[in-house]
Amino acid sequence: MIEVENLGKTYVKEPVVRDLSFFVPEGQVLGFLGPNGAGKTTVMRMLTAFLPPTTGRVVVAGVDLDEDPVALRRNVGYLPENVPLYPEMRVDEYLRFRADIEEVPRAEVRDRMDDVAERCMIGDVRRQVIGTLSKGFRQRVGLAGALIHQPPVLILDEPTVGLDPNQIIRVRELITELGRDHTVLLSTHILPEVEQVCERVFIIDRGRIVADGAPDALRTQLIGNPALAVELKGADGVATEALLGLPGVVAVSEREPGHFVVEHAPDADPREAVFGLAVERGWVLMALIPHRASLEDVFVRLTTREETVAEELAEEVSHA
Amino acid sequence: MRKTWAIVRRELIAYFSSPLAYVVLAAFLLMQGYIFYLLVSFLNNPQTQAMTPLRLFFGGTIFFWLFLLFVVPVITMRLIAEERRSGTIEVLLTSPVTEAQVVVGKFAAAMLFYIALWLPTVLYVLVLMRHSEIDLGPVLAGYVGVLLLGFLFLAVGTFASTLTDNQLIAAIIAFAVMVALFSIGLVEQLIMSSGLKAVLGHMNLWTQMDDFAKGIVDTRHVVYQLSFGALFLFLAAKSLEVKKWR
Repeated sequence: MIEVENLGKTYVKEPVVRDLSFFVPEGQVLGFLGPNGAGKTTVMRMLTAFLPPTTGRVVVAGVDLDEDPVALRRNVGYLPENVPLYPEMRVDEYLRFRADIEEVPRAEVRDRMDDVAERCMIGDVRRQVIGTLSKGFRQRVGLAGALIHQPPVLILDEPTVGLDPNQIIRVRELITELGRDHTVLLSTHILPEVEQVCERVFIIDRGRIVADGAPDALRTQLIGNPALAVELKGADGVATEALLGLPGVVAVSEREPGHFVVEHAPDADPREAVFGLAVERGWVLMALIPHRASLEDVFVRLTTREETVAEELAEEVSHA
Repeated sequence: MRKTWAIVRRELIAYFSSPLAYVVLAAFLLMQGYIFYLLVSFLNNPQTQAMTPLRLFFGGTIFFWLFLLFVVPVITMRLIAEERRSGTIEVLLTSPVTEAQVVVGKFAAAMLFYIALWLPTVLYVLVLMRHSEIDLGPVLAGYVGVLLLGFLFLAVGTFASTLTDNQLIAAIIAFAVMVALFSIGLVEQLIMSSGLKAVLGHMNLWTQMDDFAKGIVDTRHVVYQLSFGALFLFLAAKSLEVKKWR
């Protein structure tokens, strides 16, 4: 659905996006993850034919950006960062305006407006002036506008920024639902968001993709084995050794007296064995917490590396 | 066409939902009404030379120009500068709309607002018609002149609005370019070289407007104002394209 080859963008000799290549199949929900200034917005602006790339090739839904940027725009629904809207317009006026400029056939305009208003849950505010709406509603009005022409591809730039937790949950649900019949590309620097919403994640740093994969796969691939945080009362010096002897456990470290981190193989679950061991030895088990490395850790590791390491990583990803 | 019209409609909603439009309309009418009153009472004095008030009304006095030079930047400053500031330009230019359609739509909306501004002055003509004979030819020509000047100046303003995301700066640029276009003709008197003098003479907007007010629709004036207006609209579309490449 989205094909990108050697995409690059240089602003005044400063490369912002470097040699990006990727393919997104139809129906995938893909997350762009990266620190501010990593080039996420620039990539999205090129995919929506807002910015012309310096180098490379972009094909969205079968349309080549170089050949027909206007046709490419027809296939894409775009929600820019910070959801720009016209505050003086009423919601319905805005949706009609979007329908007109997005070439929705005249006879279908009414139906499309009703449809997107229902999907984005803005039915109650359709007569309201956009400037008087809360941030959450504005976000959904922006999404409704991006959906009005039923584009096969949706590109959402930080769709949940500035929302309160309830609103974030609603917008995420909406995106998940949209993912059923659209190819969705969204950017964010909120990590739990990609874990919840996306099937696939790109981590972008300094204009390059430094990691590409399913959130789970990325976690294990880059962070290593899952671990348990174990706190034992009354354990003596042999505890480390005893824990290490349990099936599936690959490493044990004692962080402070009585507090252990037990690394285990991804397919093993030694929690029962740890409990059994504690009972057998007469130790009191104070805590037994699965410690999943979060994408946060992956993110921090990947985006705080040295320039050269980042380059190597990007290399690896592009070869894979 | 439908897309351009959608932009025109949206722009008109924006005009009439902001207090600025009403302030401009009210101030414009107040000023024009006052000038009209002054002209009529001035010409009522038997000692003044015979002239029709409407001829003076259309560009015959500095008031006309002062107000035009101030009002046009206020009408056009928001057009594209505000889209850039708020980021809505991104929505506009990622829909299947071309830069030219954006510029034409915005400009057309400004032109409609400008026409709405002048519409009530038709009442002055009606008032005069009740009390004296009016030669409608020059009056119509005067309105043609007003429209053509509006075309040129609003095109300048539209162009200025593409250059920045700050409305105030857009207004100042528009004002400066319009003053330059306006005064280029006034410089005529200071020039000795006859060739240059002739060129500048043709560019003198004051005498052009005066011709219209006299009832002379000179095609040279029409061509001058339309072609310069079109040039600025073209530049506006190009500037919008170039801004993206930066």
